[in-house]
Amino acid sequence: MKIITLPKENFAEFVGHLCSFGEIHAPIKRGDRSFVFAPVKDASEIELDCVRTILPLKKYFFRPMEVMFNFCAGEGYEIPSEVTDKRIVVFGAHPCDIHGLNILDMVFNGRYVDTYYLARKSKAAIIGLDCIPDDLCFCRSTRTDFVDTGFDLFLSDIGDKYLVRVGTSLGDDMVRAAESLFYEVQKEDRDAYKRKSIERRESFKTEIQLQDLPGIMDLEYESQVWQDVGETCLSCGTCSMVCPTCYCYSVFDELDLDGSSGRRKRRWDCCLFKDYALVAGGHNFRAKRSSRVKNRYFHKQRGFVSLYGRPSCVGCGRCKAQCPSGIDIVDVITKLRSETRV
Amino acid sequence: MSSKPKIGIYGLTGCAGDQLVILNCEDELLDIVGATDIRSFPMAMSGGDENCPLDIVFIDGTVVQPKDEEMLKRLRERANLLIAVGTCAVWGGVPAMENKFSREEVKKRVYGPTGDLFKTITPQPLSSFVKVDLSISGCPIEKEQLLQAVASLLHGDLPRLPNYAVCTECKMAEYPCLLIEKGHLCLGPITVAGCKARCPSYGRPCIGCRGPVEEANISSEVRLLKEKGFTPSDIQNRLRTFAGAADSLQMESLKEGTNA
Amino acid sequence: MSDAHNYTSDENPYLPKPARIIRTLPQILDHQLFQIRFEKEEMINNFTYRPGQFVMLSVIGTGEAPFSISSSPTRPGIIELCVRRIGHVTNALFKLPPNAPVGIRGPYGNGFPLDKLEGNNLLLVAGGLGMAPLRSLLRYALDNRSKFKDVILMYGARNPDDMLFKYELLELIEQPDVKCLLTVDTDNSGMWKAHVGVVTTLFDHAEIDPNNTYAAICGPEIMFKYVLEELLKRNFSKNRILMSLERNMQCGVGKCGHCMVGYKYTCLDGPIFNYWDAINLPEMV
Ligand SMILES: Cc1cc2nc3c(=O)[nH]c(=O)nc-3n(C[C@H](O)[C@H](O)[C@H](O)COP(=O)(O)OP(=O)(O)OC[C@H]3O[C@@H](n4cnc5c(N)ncnc54)[C@H](O)[C@@H]3O)c2cc1C
Ligand code: SF4
Ligand code: SF4
Ligand code: SF4
Ligand code: SF4
Ligand code: FES
Repeated sequence: MKIITLPKENFAEFVGHLCSFGEIHAPIKRGDRSFVFAPVKDASEIELDCVRTILPLKKYFFRPMEVMFNFCAGEGYEIPSEVTDKRIVVFGAHPCDIHGLNILDMVFNGRYVDTYYLARKSKAAIIGLDCIPDDLCFCRSTRTDFVDTGFDLFLSDIGDKYLVRVGTSLGDDMVRAAESLFYEVQKEDRDAYKRKSIERRESFKTEIQLQDLPGIMDLEYESQVWQDVGETCLSCGTCSMVCPTCYCYSVFDELDLDGSSGRRKRRWDCCLFKDYALVAGGHNFRAKRSSRVKNRYFHKQRGFVSLYGRPSCVGCGRCKAQCPSGIDIVDVITKLRSETRV
Repeated sequence: MSSKPKIGIYGLTGCAGDQLVILNCEDELLDIVGATDIRSFPMAMSGGDENCPLDIVFIDGTVVQPKDEEMLKRLRERANLLIAVGTCAVWGGVPAMENKFSREEVKKRVYGPTGDLFKTITPQPLSSFVKVDLSISGCPIEKEQLLQAVASLLHGDLPRLPNYAVCTECKMAEYPCLLIEKGHLCLGPITVAGCKARCPSYGRPCIGCRGPVEEANISSEVRLLKEKGFTPSDIQNRLRTFAGAADSLQMESLKEGTNA
Repeated sequence: MSDAHNYTSDENPYLPKPARIIRTLPQILDHQLFQIRFEKEEMINNFTYRPGQFVMLSVIGTGEAPFSISSSPTRPGIIELCVRRIGHVTNALFKLPPNAPVGIRGPYGNGFPLDKLEGNNLLLVAGGLGMAPLRSLLRYALDNRSKFKDVILMYGARNPDDMLFKYELLELIEQPDVKCLLTVDTDNSGMWKAHVGVVTTLFDHAEIDPNNTYAAICGPEIMFKYVLEELLKRNFSKNRILMSLERNMQCGVGKCGHCMVGYKYTCLDGPIFNYWDAINLPEMV
């Protein structure tokens, strides 16, 4: 992989150059202490120390709500002309964010390809940025604290410079467009990177064991933990909305007053909703909230492993940070692991 | 429905705000009028037909007086589909908020001695008296949902309205959580969505004006609000404002209960 | 695999293809057989499927829902869906005028493992609407009679008026190359000539060799339970018992998450599961 450095004093100018590759989106502040990815004009607006945004990057590619087709009684279904001819450059994606996108790539590719997601994804450049974990981050446990694919460029803070890994030819174009701002890697840069890497590793405060979790989940299928979490959970949907790897959606048709034209739409869904597994005639395969809570954990930590070879959780901590009732995924898993039942 | 469906739009006791929403659908009102045969809409027109059978009747307001009840039952007999419009009609709304006091007490406090001149009954949603085919809640209702409902009804179908909590829409729009960030008493987790989290979008907590979401976990909401320092009476007052009829459930769940 | 043959990866997999209902055949109360043909000639010619697969059917303006294909790929040109009227989409479907346009996409799901079934006896056990997918397999087997040994159908309905494909199946009773056992729980007509009693009572009327037979069961859960008992009593291997699962489906192509049972997508890995796989799925029933 091509690796170079960008002195911090050149950073703003580099961001200026990025405009020609698309509209720049980076973390900015919203509310008292929240952050969101949003369009920025220049580097000064970017919150470089943001740990996590409210919504993850999926919002750009898999929209909270989108029109799949326009329909009309006479003409059938038509794919809306793609609204996003616009290219975007996402700056400031953390390793877990990029892993989240890599997981969505797996889901939305496969035997059938979700053309909506892919069309948008193909028009975006991803520039990663290293981060310092807070108490809620456990990406080291999910093995998503380091990323080596899924970005065009990745910046790691090594003091007064960024070490820049170039992941794709688009990334290389972005570097070439501002070639004079970059330098070759020196010995001190390598040392600084390795030092920082250890520092970062040691700053993780939250750790859980996940490797053998699928087996434990099967064993603890009837655990009281699910009952307890089910009593606390509000089914409010927040955790799925904010999770970088929750991909469930629901489809519905919206009719115009003329009674013949309208739109088929999809919106983010959540397996904690009462009617998620409801079928016609009224049978509900997960009528109880405790069974739905269990499903959420099963899908992330157990089912996904069977389907795609790894858990879908990337340890970003969003679900804990934003759960109104304070349900903590790490806590739940720890209880499940340590619980002894009579 | 091959020929134009016959429609009636009526109000029981309430602010008539939901009928106003119908009148305010400026751009679409003509389409609605064109696609339907509005037989009666006392708020907007006089000389309506008060006896013909109706395909669809929209009713806002709450049953507060015996005459509301009579009118409601009569409308049920006349209409093929009965649609409750607005939180008052669906949940009892503001008129039902004082249900923990006896009727006589409320009447005395509100109207003084003149209260003896008319009869009232405990305010209740329409569903306490008749079968309701569709509920569109909101105080007032969302124009978009109303139009969606009308379009579906004209198509011979019932609309599928959101069945999840306000938080979901709040997060879809990426508003910071007021409950977590500011410690506000937000009822988003137990209130049914459809407003696109309008209050949180203005930085104000959800006051539950749309009524409870299906299977609202009220005991957990109450527990978390208590942890944030709210007293049971703060919480009760807020919960009672719009969904008075669901009161018993709410008061019950102020005690610890299980509903996993 | 024939699942994705009508599909290339740059195509929008959710796009319903224009089709038309060319005929509806009332079956029993609130059940109809819809004969559907694609509008485009190339779709008519290329659309092949396996018994047990399903399609997503769109009624314009109302929505989309999954339905098993009841016809057999041996008779191309039209697709038959046997539909129960139960909610939004099916209500709208029943109200469509003759020759109405609809949207179809698919076929989806694994379907029955024909390569394994061939060369064996087939035992089809259906209850109620469970006949919809099994009718496809039955027709397929009868049209490819030499590929199978004995073909036995056991079908139970509540009473004669509740029997799907009744006249077609009654004709089969006379046919020598298939053993067609029909039963009703109660005979309210007094005219019923076949069996009376629950489906499992039919097991007394057939000889079944568990080693050379595949059993395909479709029907209500309760029926499934009792049929299973009969089969296990006869030492059927769990791998030779096939069943069709029903789940909420929003996409049919392994994206929306709704049909997930434990570690499998019903829409991709199912809807046909063998009993061993099924009992290993948590929350299977
Ligand atoms: C693989 C498969 C094969 C099926 N084959 C047949 C068949 O041959 N004949 C038949 O009559 N029915 C069949 N069904 C059931 C049929 O899909 C439902 O009856 C149908 O979805 C009802 O739609 P509705 O809008 O009329 O009902 P409503 O109750 O109004 O709506 C149910 C909503 O739930 C969702 N939903 C998704 N999947 C299902 C499901 N499996 N069951 C119910 N609701 C679902 C849909 O979005 C639908 O809009 C099958 C289901 C599956 C999964
Ligand atoms: S489950 Fe929670 S911690 Fe894991 S990826 Fe989703 S939001 Fe992040
Ligand atoms: S099943 Fe639940 S946990 Fe899994 S992706 Fe869907 S919403 Fe998320
Ligand atoms: S955010 Fe918390 S309360 Fe809301 S659905 Fe998720 S776990 Fe339940
Ligand atoms: S602000 Fe209110 S509605 Fe929004 S997520 Fe928080 S609790 Fe839910
Ligand atoms: S139906 Fe959407 S994943 Fe199976």
